[in-house]
Amino acid sequence: MDIKNYISSGIIELYVMGLCSPEEEREFEMLRQQHPELHEAILRYESDMEKNMLQKGVFPGAEVDDKILQRLESLNTPFVPIKAGKALVKKMYWLKPVAAAVLLLLGVSLFFNYQLSKKNKLQAEMIKGTKNISLPLSDYAVITNPSITPVGMYGVGSHAICRCTMFWDKKTGKAYIMIHHLPKSSSSRDYQLWAEVDGKLVSVGIINDEIRGRFIEVPDVPAGAVAFSVTLEKTGGSITPTVDETYLKGRI
Amino acid sequence: MQSSAYTEKELVNALKQHRNEAYRHLYMQYRGALYNIILQVIADTETANDVLQEVFVTIWKNIDKYDESKGRLFTWMLKLTRNMAINQTRVKNFKVHSKNEDINNYVSIIEQKNSDQTHVNHIGLRQQVHKLRPEYKDVLELSYFQGFKQEEIAEVLKIPLGTVKTRLRNAIVELRREFV
Repeated sequence: MDIKNYISSGIIELYVMGLCSPEEEREFEMLRQQHPELHEAILRYESDMEKNMLQKGVFPGAEVDDKILQRLESLNTPFVPIKAGKALVKKMYWLKPVAAAVLLLLGVSLFFNYQLSKKNKLQAEMIKGTKNISLPLSDYAVITNPSITPVGMYGVGSHAICRCTMFWDKKTGKAYIMIHHLPKSSSSRDYQLWAEVDGKLVSVGIINDEIRGRFIEVPDVPAGAVAFSVTLEKTGGSITPTVDETYLKGRI
Repeated sequence: MQSSAYTEKELVNALKQHRNEAYRHLYMQYRGALYNIILQVIADTETANDVLQEVFVTIWKNIDKYDESKGRLFTWMLKLTRNMAINQTRVKNFKVHSKNEDINNYVSIIEQKNSDQTHVNHIGLRQQVHKLRPEYKDVLELSYFQGFKQEEIAEVLKIPLGTVKTRLRNAIVELRREFV
């Protein structure tokens, strides 16, 4: 094969942009290993294309930037307490405690991140067919702890298919959640978790869409909770629950 | 952190650790280029904004699947972005643009939605493609903008698969200046 002709045939561009057929891709990858000049040409093209496309950027605007950056940060935070957000907007002199809260959240998110990466690895192993199918030791210890009561939360009305389990530790007051089934919320709505205390529903936080199927600790569950429910609310959550939009309910 | 503070390797490592500052850097650095790719496929700004968000969330969730030996991070993101944009047009059951549809339709849709000057640029590539001679325009339109496989293009245009391959390569060579 005349590799110079091949390089200038347009195949590099098609390969880099993912427009080749699978056979062309296989051939390309094989030739790439045999011909250093082809490898060099790909690297050069990729790098030039990146530079060029960065120069030709079209920007979505600050509002979209803020929304997406917030969403990306929220991926590291399983629950977003709505009270902290309100305090920031209304009372700036609360900045110190808020900063402390943010640091705390950051710590919590780093912790979860660490836990998640452990769990992701484990899930990856499971998928590969490793025989050792088990929860990470810490999760297993929580579930088998005798002081922990599982609270099944069941779908309400037309949402009968929804399922989730809370694990409630009476001794420490800690709670954990595992969402088994809950439809994806639209971009303009959020699921919010509530605890029933003295006959009133108190917000626990907005449920991050990404925690499905994971075992997650729920921070700040109010003492004296006797039941939990999940409602669908407007983005950012509500002060009082929209009871008509209750998806899940469970009593301790 | 300054944009030059990360090498590509450092950035990828930080992304794989799901570090917030790495994702902030990635977003600020690449949002313009990726948004441009989305807008080449989707005319509606609102939908394009949603896809941009989903692209970055997908990068966050799938960063472990990125294989450095296969190409640069940007190349991986570019393919992912274009695929997600094309899927979106299919999911939403947007009218699949027929190969004969005039580029002016896209221009007018976009200009109605947003008169912002930057939005005139993003159709640049598609406009360039539509200036090519018809046999080149058709294969690139179907392949790059609508995600058709080569076999499907052969079927739609009723030409042999070998001809599709040749036309695609020739078309891309003519367009090289636009891409690079």
